[in-house]
Amino acid sequence: MKFLTTNFLKCSVKACDGSNDNFPLQYDGEKCTLQQNNDIEFNAEFLTNILDRVDWDAILTVAADLGNNSLPREKPVLGTNGDLTEDDLAVLRDLHTLLICTSIVEGQMQCKNCGHIYYIKNGIPNLLLPPHLA
Amino acid sequence: MLPTPYVKCDYETVYEPSEDSFLLLDCLEHEQEYLASRFRDGLSVVCELGPGSGIVTTFMMQNGIPARGSSMYFAVDISPWALEATDDTVRRNKCHGTYLDAVQCDLASCLKPREVDLLVFNPPYVPAEHVPEIPNAADDHSTWLDLALLGGENGMVITEKLLLQLETVLSKKGVAYILFCARNRPEEVANRMKATYSWDVELIIHRKAGWEVLSVYRFSRKTANHS
Ligand SMILES: C[S@@+](CC[C@H](N)C(=O)[O-])C[C@H]1O[C@@H](n2cnc3c(N)ncnc32)[C@H](O)[C@@H]1O
Ligand SMILES: [Zn+2]
Repeated sequence: MKFLTTNFLKCSVKACDGSNDNFPLQYDGEKCTLQQNNDIEFNAEFLTNILDRVDWDAILTVAADLGNNSLPREKPVLGTNGDLTEDDLAVLRDLHTLLICTSIVEGQMQCKNCGHIYYIKNGIPNLLLPPHLA
Repeated sequence: MLPTPYVKCDYETVYEPSEDSFLLLDCLEHEQEYLASRFRDGLSVVCELGPGSGIVTTFMMQNGIPARGSSMYFAVDISPWALEATDDTVRRNKCHGTYLDAVQCDLASCLKPREVDLLVFNPPYVPAEHVPEIPNAADDHSTWLDLALLGGENGMVITEKLLLQLETVLSKKGVAYILFCARNRPEEVANRMKATYSWDVELIIHRKAGWEVLSVYRFSRKTANHS
C-alpha cells in the first residue's frame, strides 16, 4: 500500500469509532518493509489536490513511525501568488516521492485505541477483523 | 461506447464479470459527464466495494471516471483472491500508472469517515438462507465464490449494512451507485432512504437479464445547492 493510503485507513473496530485514537494507525517502523516504485508519473496538479485534502498531522505521525522526521511541521502552502514557483514544484516532487512512490509492502500497524494489530502482506493491508471483534 | 477492460482470472474463486457487472459499466458510462462536472475541482476519492475481478475499477481508471488525473482509487474486498485479481486486471489493462490501492476489509469499516466521493458497489445480492462466514483458509475457493453471490434474507443483508455506513463513509459531495436485483425490492429501499435518512435516490439504469431485473440506484446527500 502506498504511503498516502495511510491517510485514509482507520481501525475497523466499531467501538473505536468514538475515540480519537483510531486514526491514523500506528505503523511499526521496525517491521515495515518499504519499497520505491515509479509507476505513477509526477503530476503537479494531482499533488496539489492531494495536499489540499490530506490530514497533515496524520502524515507527520506516520512518517515519524517509519523513521522520516524531515517533513515541515505545517502543511506547505503553495502557489500563494497564483502560479507554482520552482520551490513549490520541488516540494510537490518530494511529496510525490513520499506519498505516492513509497509503498509499505510488508509490515504491521496497530490501533492506538484498542491495540488491535493489522498486517500488510504483499502490499495489501488486511483490515478484516476476527469473528469475535467483527 | 467506452472501452471495456480485458479480464482473465480464475472464476472458480473470483466472480466472473456478468450482466450485473456490465450494467454497472453502462451506468458509469451514462453518468460520466454528470460525475465529471460534480467532481471538477480538487481530488476525487473513489472506492469500489467488492471489486471481484476488478473490471469496474479498471473501467473507471481506464476512462478517467470521475475525473482524469485527479482521482485516486481504493478497491475494498473481503476476498484476498478478488484483490489479487483486481491488481492483475489493472496491470493487464496498463492502468497501473493511476493511483490504486487494494484493501482487504468488510465493507467500508476501515475507511476514515467522510472521505469517499464516489462509491460503487455490486454486492452479493442473491437471496439465500444466510451469508456464508468468512473462511479461515484462503484456499476455500467455493466459499469465497459464495460470498460474492449470497446476500442472505432478500439478498439484502450486506447491502443493508452498507446503507447504514453510507452516511459516515461518503464525503459531503459524495455519491454512491449500488446495484440491486428485483428481489431486493429496490423501490422500497429507495423510498425508505429518502424518507428516513433524507437521501436523494435516483434510478439510473435497469435491464432485464435472463429471468432477473437488475437496476442501479444513485444515492447522494440532499443538499440545497447541488445541481
Ligand atoms: C457480485 S460480486 C461483484 C464483483 C465485481 N464488482 C463485478 O461487478 O463483477 C461481489 C463482490 O463483493 C465481495 N464482497 C462480498 N461481501 C463483502 C463485504 N462484506 N465487504 C467487501 N466485499 C464483499 C465479494 O468478494 C465479491 O468480490
Ligand atoms: Zn481499534
